[in-house]
Amino acid sequence: MITAAAIALAVAAALWLVAAAAGLLAARGIGFRTAALASSLGGAGALVGGALAAIHGTSAARTIGSANLVGAVTLRLDPLASVFIALLGLIAIAIGLYVPRYHHPSRGSAWYLPVYNLALLASLGVLVAGNATFFLVAWESMAVFSYLVVLRHHRREGVARAAFLFLALSEAGFVLIVAAFAILATHTGTLDLGLMAARSHTLSSGWRAGIFVLALLGFGFKAGLVPFHVWLPEAHPAAPADGSAFLSGLVIALGVFGIALFAFELEPGGPAWWGLLTMALGALSAVVGVLYALMENDLKRFLAYSSIENIGIILTALGAAMVFGAYRQPALATFLLIAGLYQLVNHGVYKTLLFLETGVVEHTTGTRDMNALGGLVHRLPSSTVITLIGTLGIAALPPLNGFVSEWLIFQGLFQGFRIGHDLIGILIVIAGASLALTAGLAIMAFARGFGIPFLGMPRSRGAANASERGQPLAGPGLLAAACVALAVGAPLVLTVLDRVARATTGTDIKARLLVPNLTVIPAHTGFSGFSPTYLAVFLVCIAVVPVLIYLSGRPRGATRTVPVWDGGILSFTPRMQYTATAYANPIRVTFDEFYRPEFHVERASDDPAGRSGPVHYRFRVMPIFQRFLYAPLVRAVEWCADFVRPIQSGDVNLYLLYILICVIIAYLIYPY
Amino acid sequence: MNEEQRLSTQLQERAFALFRRSLHIRTFDSGSCAVCESEIRLLSSPYYDLHRLGFFFTPAPRHADLLLVSGPAVRAAEPALRKTLEAMPEPRIVVAVGACALGTVFTEDELVHGSVDSVIPVDVYVPGCPPSPLALLHGLLVAVGRLEEKVQILRFDLREELTG
Amino acid sequence: MFWFLRGIRRGVVTTRYPARPEPSAAQLPTPPAFRSDRLTVELAERLAEACPAGALRRDGPDLVLDLAGCTCCGRCSEVGGEAVVVSGEFELATRDRGALVKRIPVGGGR
Repeated sequence: MITAAAIALAVAAALWLVAAAAGLLAARGIGFRTAALASSLGGAGALVGGALAAIHGTSAARTIGSANLVGAVTLRLDPLASVFIALLGLIAIAIGLYVPRYHHPSRGSAWYLPVYNLALLASLGVLVAGNATFFLVAWESMAVFSYLVVLRHHRREGVARAAFLFLALSEAGFVLIVAAFAILATHTGTLDLGLMAARSHTLSSGWRAGIFVLALLGFGFKAGLVPFHVWLPEAHPAAPADGSAFLSGLVIALGVFGIALFAFELEPGGPAWWGLLTMALGALSAVVGVLYALMENDLKRFLAYSSIENIGIILTALGAAMVFGAYRQPALATFLLIAGLYQLVNHGVYKTLLFLETGVVEHTTGTRDMNALGGLVHRLPSSTVITLIGTLGIAALPPLNGFVSEWLIFQGLFQGFRIGHDLIGILIVIAGASLALTAGLAIMAFARGFGIPFLGMPRSRGAANASERGQPLAGPGLLAAACVALAVGAPLVLTVLDRVARATTGTDIKARLLVPNLTVIPAHTGFSGFSPTYLAVFLVCIAVVPVLIYLSGRPRGATRTVPVWDGGILSFTPRMQYTATAYANPIRVTFDEFYRPEFHVERASDDPAGRSGPVHYRFRVMPIFQRFLYAPLVRAVEWCADFVRPIQSGDVNLYLLYILICVIIAYLIYPY
Repeated sequence: MNEEQRLSTQLQERAFALFRRSLHIRTFDSGSCAVCESEIRLLSSPYYDLHRLGFFFTPAPRHADLLLVSGPAVRAAEPALRKTLEAMPEPRIVVAVGACALGTVFTEDELVHGSVDSVIPVDVYVPGCPPSPLALLHGLLVAVGRLEEKVQILRFDLREELTG
Repeated sequence: MFWFLRGIRRGVVTTRYPARPEPSAAQLPTPPAFRSDRLTVELAERLAEACPAGALRRDGPDLVLDLAGCTCCGRCSEVGGEAVVVSGEFELATRDRGALVKRIPVGGGR
């Protein structure tokens, strides 16, 4: 089976290269369509390969080139990575189906499509990397190609700046990642990941801790962990919709992959504080992410903050898994690892779906501003249904996939009492409480994110004139079907994830995860349990009951259809509806100390009799991290640069003096 | 009345008889001076106590059986009045209350229709300016068939031999 | 405090109408009734002029009282003297708008 998986992945990589090559010809229709098709097929290959490798359940590695050279390439098919590979494949299929109707054959597509497919290839490279060099090269390629993906519309205002921020923070993270790998490689004496994992326990705990923290922060930059998240809400609106989908669905997941790689494979069995640190950062990201999401009116920024929130949830689960592992609760540790991976896969699916649909909305209405949208359920019926499925998934409402994975995470966190240590148990419960707050706020955020644009009446001409003709449905539709499948087929998904987790942590909890009747239990009997499959069937069935009652009991006589009772007013104008800002106002008021918004009110005149003309109300949430963390850092760096600038005087004689001084110093030091 | 009208009236009576002990009333002020509204409000007071008769006020026309209209049907309120009536499911009763609603105060001009029955069909008329809560109770009970009308047989001309 | 004791002291104040006649109804302002044998044409003209609501008017040999328009102000009672008495009727609701228009023959009638 592992060979089949390897072949599938090789085919996928080849197809993506083909897609990249064909993409160069994307100015012509034939090159464009070939690139999209090859991208999708490559995704299918990756999905199959990843699934097979995950089912296979053990790691396998192969070295190409001599193992002693730095340039040797070791490829590794690891169950943990295979989950991410499968996700990559699914996202690639969906985006590949979406591209033909979203982009057009043009010169812009002629460089965008190759770059995008190379980004897919680089991501695959990160996931199959078997030695540190290959990993780092693939990682950096993935970062640079993602940067280029964000730059698709580089002539538009703000895009270049957003892409630069993305690249800058990506590089900052990369420095930390390189440091982590370098220290680990030096102390274990090998560049091969498998050998590093085997030998890492020989390091002193100080070095191990340092490596882990470097990895957590470095990969945290890519994952969008607070406070390293500031690139996300800038880069996502700048990128095209499928680029944002790729960023949010996969690139962020690669950050999580890196953290999971270090936490569970390269340096397993770390002390509890590693897990607590991860959990703290995760819980912080979750709460901060959803709070900012509630204040955003731009659909893409809103989804970007929601990604930050979900990554927070996933990392809280992984952190808790590490804590349980440190306190000798391997079943719960494995359980939370499974829950975290499940949440990651679900997030990849529904976040990609939502970003793709945002692209459709933007193309049909011309705007991403929630306050200018409305009534899209009438104009874009199929897209609304697909978006609704994605929204129900991300808001973690039963019976969809988000509910299943969040239930698993909560059940794992609620069992913190099984750790004997009271303080740690309390901290885990606090993390659970933060996630509960997040879940509640997320439901409100997505009720707003779905209700304001799609329901009600259109608030602008663009929204009123939207039409679904020619818009991509296949890609998002596939992801919506995947959402449902991941929910109803949860036992199947959990079986596969259990094999992955068994390979990663060494504990098999299949018997304590899935019991007969398709029921899922959280690693301990008698605590709780439910069956996602039966729940889905049940909910569908009880939805049938009111229909039956209506059909059997409805009056036989003539019915009179009248408009909805609206209080008798003459007519409804769209201005009478909730705006997105007003809907989220209770949260703004409750968390005022956190948001510290600045208000700006402009009136045409001060006539109190109501004739003052339009009043403009603007409010801006204070960007805490930009103002208090990054701006001072940037100022400090600039100050240092200014301080050092006199060295670069441009005077050749001074440079000759520098050379003289360095030569003299070298002479003096050399003997030693 | 011919046979058809008689049957239709009978049907209406039967339908209205359904409301005998349980009636939901929606009030509508189509431009009155609000004294009729005060009298209607008094029906909920402990002295008159509408609820002991099974009558309730409801703000939602969807839930209402009876529409109690006061005021001379100003044109500005006409769309709202029509919408309110339309939103009520049948069978429904319309009761016009007060001199204004019965058309004796305002004549039709560009601001007002003058009487409620020129806008919507009225089933029961309750005169008075304002009708006291007891008169209103009588009107509501007539509307649901619990009391018989009296004014048909009342005589307002008295001859010597009939007075005491 | 103990506001409900006041209610217990007062007892039930709810009217028994319609099961039993309401005693306070005797004090209600009600439309007039006319002693048609005491009504002369000249008195009828003066009554029609005196009514501020226009509920009384002359139509041929009759004095027409529109109960719908009567505000029970009592002016006709002042003007009409013995010819006008208070009817005491407040249960005037009807399905038929025409039934509220009462014709009173002037000068005795049949």
